[in-house]
Amino acid sequence: MSKLGQVVEAVEKYNKFVLDQVRRARTDEPFGRDLLGRWNDIKAKIPITRAPTGLPLPRLALPEIDEPGEIARYLFGEGLPGEFPFLNGAYREMYLEPIREVESFEKNGESKEKKTGKKIPQVEEPTRLFSGLMLAEDTNERFHYLTRHQRTHRLSTAFDGPTLYGIDSDADGVFGKIGEGGVAIDTVEDMMRLYDGFDLGSPNFSASMTISGPAPIIMAMYIAAAKRRFGPKVVPRLRGTIQADIFKEVQAQNETIFPIEPSLRFLTDMVEFTTREMPRWYPISISGYHIGEAGSTPVQQAAYTLSNGFAYAEMFVTRGIPVDQFGPRLSFFLDCGLDVEYIALARVSRRIWAIGMRDVFGAGPKAQLYKLHTQTSGRSLIAAEFKNNLTRTAAELMLAYMNATNSCHSNSADEPFTTPSEEWIRLAAHGQAILLEESGIFKHTMNMLSGSPGMKAVERAVEAAILDEFREIERIGGVLAAVEERYQRSQIQNAAHKYEQQIYDGTRPIIALNKYRNGSDDIPEVKLARTPRKKQQLQVDRLAKFKKKNADKAKRALDKLAAIVERGENCFPALLEAVEVCSLGQITGRLQDVVGRFRPMV
Amino acid sequence: MPAPIRVLTAVPICDGHDSAINTINLEFIRHGVEVVYLGYHRSVGDIVRAAIQEDVRAIGISSYNGGHSEFFGAVVDLLRKKGADDIKVFGGGGGTITHDDAAMMKRKGVDEIFFAGTSLEEMVEFVHQHYGKARRKRARPKSPDQELAHKLTDIEDRAANLTALSARVSKAGSTRTDPAAVRTKSPRAARVIGFTGPGGAGKTTLIDELVLRFLNKNRQSRLAILSHDPSVVGRGALLGDRATMINSQNDRVFMRSMATRGQAGGLSPATHDCLALLARSGFDYVIIETVGTGQEAMPFQKNGIVDLTVLVMNPDYGSRLQLQKIVMLDLADVVVVNKSDLQRARTAHTEIEQRLEQNRRDQQLIDTVAKRHRDPGVDRLFDLILGGRDGALQRQSGSDRPRTSQRDVPTKKRRKR
Repeated sequence: MSKLGQVVEAVEKYNKFVLDQVRRARTDEPFGRDLLGRWNDIKAKIPITRAPTGLPLPRLALPEIDEPGEIARYLFGEGLPGEFPFLNGAYREMYLEPIREVESFEKNGESKEKKTGKKIPQVEEPTRLFSGLMLAEDTNERFHYLTRHQRTHRLSTAFDGPTLYGIDSDADGVFGKIGEGGVAIDTVEDMMRLYDGFDLGSPNFSASMTISGPAPIIMAMYIAAAKRRFGPKVVPRLRGTIQADIFKEVQAQNETIFPIEPSLRFLTDMVEFTTREMPRWYPISISGYHIGEAGSTPVQQAAYTLSNGFAYAEMFVTRGIPVDQFGPRLSFFLDCGLDVEYIALARVSRRIWAIGMRDVFGAGPKAQLYKLHTQTSGRSLIAAEFKNNLTRTAAELMLAYMNATNSCHSNSADEPFTTPSEEWIRLAAHGQAILLEESGIFKHTMNMLSGSPGMKAVERAVEAAILDEFREIERIGGVLAAVEERYQRSQIQNAAHKYEQQIYDGTRPIIALNKYRNGSDDIPEVKLARTPRKKQQLQVDRLAKFKKKNADKAKRALDKLAAIVERGENCFPALLEAVEVCSLGQITGRLQDVVGRFRPMV
Repeated sequence: MPAPIRVLTAVPICDGHDSAINTINLEFIRHGVEVVYLGYHRSVGDIVRAAIQEDVRAIGISSYNGGHSEFFGAVVDLLRKKGADDIKVFGGGGGTITHDDAAMMKRKGVDEIFFAGTSLEEMVEFVHQHYGKARRKRARPKSPDQELAHKLTDIEDRAANLTALSARVSKAGSTRTDPAAVRTKSPRAARVIGFTGPGGAGKTTLIDELVLRFLNKNRQSRLAILSHDPSVVGRGALLGDRATMINSQNDRVFMRSMATRGQAGGLSPATHDCLALLARSGFDYVIIETVGTGQEAMPFQKNGIVDLTVLVMNPDYGSRLQLQKIVMLDLADVVVVNKSDLQRARTAHTEIEQRLEQNRRDQQLIDTVAKRHRDPGVDRLFDLILGGRDGALQRQSGSDRPRTSQRDVPTKKRRKR
């Protein structure tokens, strides 16, 4: 049985354990009394906060139960926020306003200033800004624009097509793609330009890089660029995330450049390096987003994301990386659309991950956390009457925060036609601020909307469906076997087809598309961000200069890299050396000579 | 009934958005179009080369990652440069292509751009209306490959007409083409290797891995591949082998994808003549791949042009008894157990070995994992094919030098039978 099969058993066993505890709490009197005492303690310690209107509220809302069996069901089955099995949240408090006024309010303002001389937020802003356009300096400028009012600088980077496929801007036939849909990165020098002016070693800075196929090479470039700017001591202080999710590329997004097995090997090489040398870095973002965007059902999205995660964990353990070392450095990325499953999709995922990591992999508390970044659904946005997309995104944001996501990105309403423009990016970010800061929905009380009968019903149904998917993958022989026989890919494509069919026959209403149409299908006049030819030429010229300057050194570095890969050693240190003198395309090409190219699955 | 419309579809380089094109492909096929699907992340050069070799009526490009104006323009330009501007270009990209872009792309020579909201019916209708009429007289081909491609089209069209005719004249009519057109006796240099086997055994991947070895071994050699996918009369077909065959998208490889157009047995009514033509068109090797076949299939038996037959098996063939029923196990020169990394592979090897021993012929049995880069099993198969090549040359030159190994030329024996 693969680890995935064991996870299914572990969840079933845990669910039975919860029922046993409920029964015991009702029959074993000391145990029940003990639970009731604990419950009363928890309740007594909950601080009271006040809404701006003066209304007092607990900072943590709990179900109104006083019967030991139900208390057991809650504490073991769901857990308090921040406690196993983490159904209600990875942390005790999220999105809440700082506590500053709690006591001071009671004491009539007496101690108000004492604690809040400087407002230090308890949680960091969950908003993430995704950007990438034209050349490195253009994206850099956008980053500075986006972060000018923010305390913390959390930059999320999109790359252009050539970069995502690991090829250079001077490759045959890619000229028009340079800087389109993301930033063009060919060399370590581009990487230096990209984050120029930001303090990469600061706790207030983190970089997120949305790239998977060539992720180890791009990661090496980032490290090399940081070292060039801040010296070697910056490496352990680097914070950020690189996507590096090979499974979902093969299952859904098609940006794979090496065959699956060497791709996974290079990934593991990188993870081995970063978990040891860069303890604050997230070297993989296990992503359901692209699976969802490719058309999966929400359950498929959650199930494939989790099972991919468990497969990575198994791989890293096999390599000899301790689970408590890599576990806390895994993070997840989900899509949030408008289907009813999204009411609890991330909640259930968090619970299954925690149980699997604890009971199958023996992970400690920090390695049990399903730390989640959510993005609202791009697929749910449409061109017809595109301003409706603001409403769609707002509803999705609401669902994402009801799931206690750790961070969130809201899509721009103009996304169906273009790289988002500044106006719509701002409105999208404001959507989050309105929900979290302006409205009282999330800022006063944890668990504000948890635990409704409907939500619980969705949780049960979604969990059962996810476990069914796990059983099917296990039957095929585990995640890798299923990937190789295109199981997930076929399921996703089938679901996508059904979705389109439902739009076509009207059983899935899309407002202004198949319902309440106003009759006009014209794309609204939106200004499109296009990369000027002059800039594209500049990128090609710069690359030529870099290649010329480093020609001899590049050859030696590539020979060394190839030899190390042939020998089967961890190639990441050699990559770190190679990126100093080689371009992305040179490295990809050489690695493909050794391990082959990815053969698309059709 | 006229021959089906053939179009090529692809997604541009650095673009993995293939869900739209997958849907459109299926819709085209449903409406009688034969679609040569090249896959995603494909360069201008790959697209134009494939379009010329396949001699399609049009190229449909689905682009979602920007740079479409340049890309579509480059495809049109290269077609023109290659003297293939009778191959038309159309495409779409949802909301990523604006009306202004589309106008500019049309000025560059693109026939049509479909915008978001265009129904699949409209696209099918467009293809039938614009690319469904018979071709006008064609300009003189600009390259040997183009000339060859045109001739193959003529053979296929003629076969289609004959099929229609014989269907009208007699329900039991033979689909064989005019015997006068068959010139198998003419001198030829190419060694013809036939690959067959059940669907999903990995034939396409295996051939592509062999192609990579051919190309690396001899920097001058040229290859042709004739690949087949099933279709019924009057319907379309998905000709998708090119999407898998990444190494075969090369100027030194001439590849042609054919639909079987209703013929049973794994090949098309036009195969025989197309193969004969390819065999005397200056290639060093011609590879023919059948559709996934059933137990009774013996696609190469009557053909006579094929020098070496390779049966590619999947370890999961069912019970041992099933092996007795597979006719090609008697006829193949080489049997390959691909996917030999699967659990069942060892058992499969043993059982097939025993089965071959009954035949008392020098049949070769090779285990491969074609999906693996530089697989030693594929290397062995490659050496075997090359060895056979030497043998063939020796036969032609009348040399009676002892061959290195009798086992290297398994075809010889079959010829005698």
